[in-house]
Amino acid sequence: MSKNSFQAALYLLPAGLLFLVFFYWPLLQNAYLSLFSWNMVSPNMKFVGAENFSVIFASPELWKILLNTVLFVVIMLVLNFVLPYIYSFILGHVVTRWSSFYRSALFLPSTLSLAVASILFLWIYNPLAGPLQIILSWFSLESPRWFKEDYLVIFAICTIIGWKVFGYNMIVMLAAMVAVPKELIEAAKLENASNWTIFRKIILPMTSSTAIYVFTITVVFGLQYVLVPVNMLTQGGPDQGSSNLVYIIYQYAFTFFQTGRSAAYAVITMVCYLLFLFVKNKYLEKKVYYEN
Amino acid sequence: MKTNLASWRDEWGYHLLLLIAVFLMLWPIVFMLSTSLKDLNQVFESTLNPLPFPPTFDNYTNVLENFPLLTYIWNTFYIAIIVTLSKALTSVLAAFGFVYYDFKYKETIFNGMLLTFFIPITVLIMPNYLLMAKLGLLDTPYGVMLPSLVDGMGVFLMRQTMRGIPKPLLEAAILDGATPWQILRKVVLPLIKPSVLAISILFFINSWNEYFWPLLILQDKSNLTLPLALQMFISAEGGSEWGVAMAVATLTSLPPLVLYGFCQKFIINTFMQAGVKG
Repeated sequence: MSKNSFQAALYLLPAGLLFLVFFYWPLLQNAYLSLFSWNMVSPNMKFVGAENFSVIFASPELWKILLNTVLFVVIMLVLNFVLPYIYSFILGHVVTRWSSFYRSALFLPSTLSLAVASILFLWIYNPLAGPLQIILSWFSLESPRWFKEDYLVIFAICTIIGWKVFGYNMIVMLAAMVAVPKELIEAAKLENASNWTIFRKIILPMTSSTAIYVFTITVVFGLQYVLVPVNMLTQGGPDQGSSNLVYIIYQYAFTFFQTGRSAAYAVITMVCYLLFLFVKNKYLEKKVYYEN
Repeated sequence: MKTNLASWRDEWGYHLLLLIAVFLMLWPIVFMLSTSLKDLNQVFESTLNPLPFPPTFDNYTNVLENFPLLTYIWNTFYIAIIVTLSKALTSVLAAFGFVYYDFKYKETIFNGMLLTFFIPITVLIMPNYLLMAKLGLLDTPYGVMLPSLVDGMGVFLMRQTMRGIPKPLLEAAILDGATPWQILRKVVLPLIKPSVLAISILFFINSWNEYFWPLLILQDKSNLTLPLALQMFISAEGGSEWGVAMAVATLTSLPPLVLYGFCQKFIINTFMQAGVKG
C-alpha cells in the first residue's frame, strides 16, 4: 500500500468531482431553494424562511403521501424481499435439478425497461379489453379499473415493480444461499429436519447480511422504480392516490412549478432516507452474522 | 444418494411453485411479442392466443414508416455507450485509488461515494435540471449523460473485486519497479476484466432502459430515446393501437434481451461471485 495521497487523489478525482457536482451540490441547493418561493422561470425569488415546511406539515396531503409511501413499501417488501428470499432458498437448497433454467427464466424481466413493463401492464390490466379482464370474466368477475381506484392503484403499480425486480433480488439472495455450506444442510436433513426448520435455524441467520442488503434496496430503490409507472400511467392520481414521498418532489417541481415546495419535500424525503439508513445500520446490522 | 424417483416425489411441489413463478415472469414477455405480431382484429378477438395466425409484421413496418425509429435507436445507443464507458472508467480508477493507496479519511470518502447510490433521483433532478439549463444542455444528449457519468455502486463493486487480488501479486510488481499506473494496467485490469465487462453490461442495460431523467431533458421529437418514445403510444396515439405499442416495446427490449441471452451465465455468475453485500 502506497501512502502517496497526492497520487491517490488523482485516481479519485474524476469520480469524486462528478459525485460532488451532481449529487452533493444538489442536496445543498435543495436546502437553499426550500427557503424561497419561486416558480423556476421568474427572475425574482422571494425569501419565505420556513414557510414551505410549515405549509407542508400543516397539509393533509403530507399524511396521505406518507400513508401511500408506507403502503408501497409494505407491498414491495412482500413481492421483492420475502418472496425472493423463499424462492432463492428453494432454488439453492431444496430442488436438485433444472435450477439454472429457473434462474435464467426468473431473471429475464429484470433486464427490461420499466417503461416497457409499464406499457405491458397497462394493456394487461386494461379493464375493457385487456387479457386479465378476459381471465376474470371466466369466473364471472368484473375487472376493476386498476389504475383509477384508491389503494388498488398502489397494488397494481407494485405488481409491475414486483415483476421487474423479483428476479434480480432473487439472484442476489441466491448468491448468499449457495454460500451456506451444503454439508450443514445435508447434516440437518439426516437428522430429519424439515425444510422449514432448516430455513429458520440455518438459512435465516447465515444469510442475514445479504438479506438486509436486499431489504434496503427494496425500500430505497423500490420507491424510485415506482416513479416510472406512476408517471407514465397515473401522474400521481387518482387525486394523489398513487403519489408518494419520492414522486411528490417531481410533481411540485415540474407539474405545479412550485420550486420552493419541491425543494422542501426533497429535504424531507432525504432526511427520511438518511434516517432509514441510519436506523438500519445501527439496529439491524448489529444482529447480523457476517461470514468475513 | 436418493433415487431419481424419490427426489421427484419429494420435490414436485417445489417445482410447481417455481413453474408458476416462471410462468408469471415469462407470460408478459411472450404476450408482448405475440401481440406485436397481431393485426388489430386479432388483438381484440384472440387476445389471449399466444400464437398469432397468420403473424403479421404490419405493426413493425407501420412504426418504421411513421416514426423516426432508427433515430431513436441511435439516440438511446449513443447515450448508453458513453455513460457505460465513463461509469466503468471512473469506477475502476476510484476503486484502484482505494485499494492501492492508504490515506486519511479513506473510509469516509468511500462511504460518501457509496451513499450517492441511495439518494433518490427526484431529490437531484430539479437542481441538476437548473444546472443543465444554465449550461445550455437542455434537449441534448449531453444533458442526459452528464449527471450519469459516475456510479456509486460501480465504485463499490470494483473495489470489492480488486480486494480479491492476492497481495503478493501487487507486491511483486512493486519490487519490479512498476509504477502504480503500470500496475493498474498490466496487473489489475487483466485480472478483473470479467467483472468490468459484467458491470459494463449492466450499466449499458440500465442506461438503455432509463426513463425518468431523459424525460425531463429531451423535448424535441427527434431527440427522444426509445423508452420515451413508448410514452407517445399511450397518450397521444390513443389507446387502441396496442399492436403498434407492443411492437415498439419489443424493439426497445430487444437489445437488453439479446445481451442477456448471450451473457446470462456470465452476468449471473458475476453477481453470485462478487458477493454483493451491504
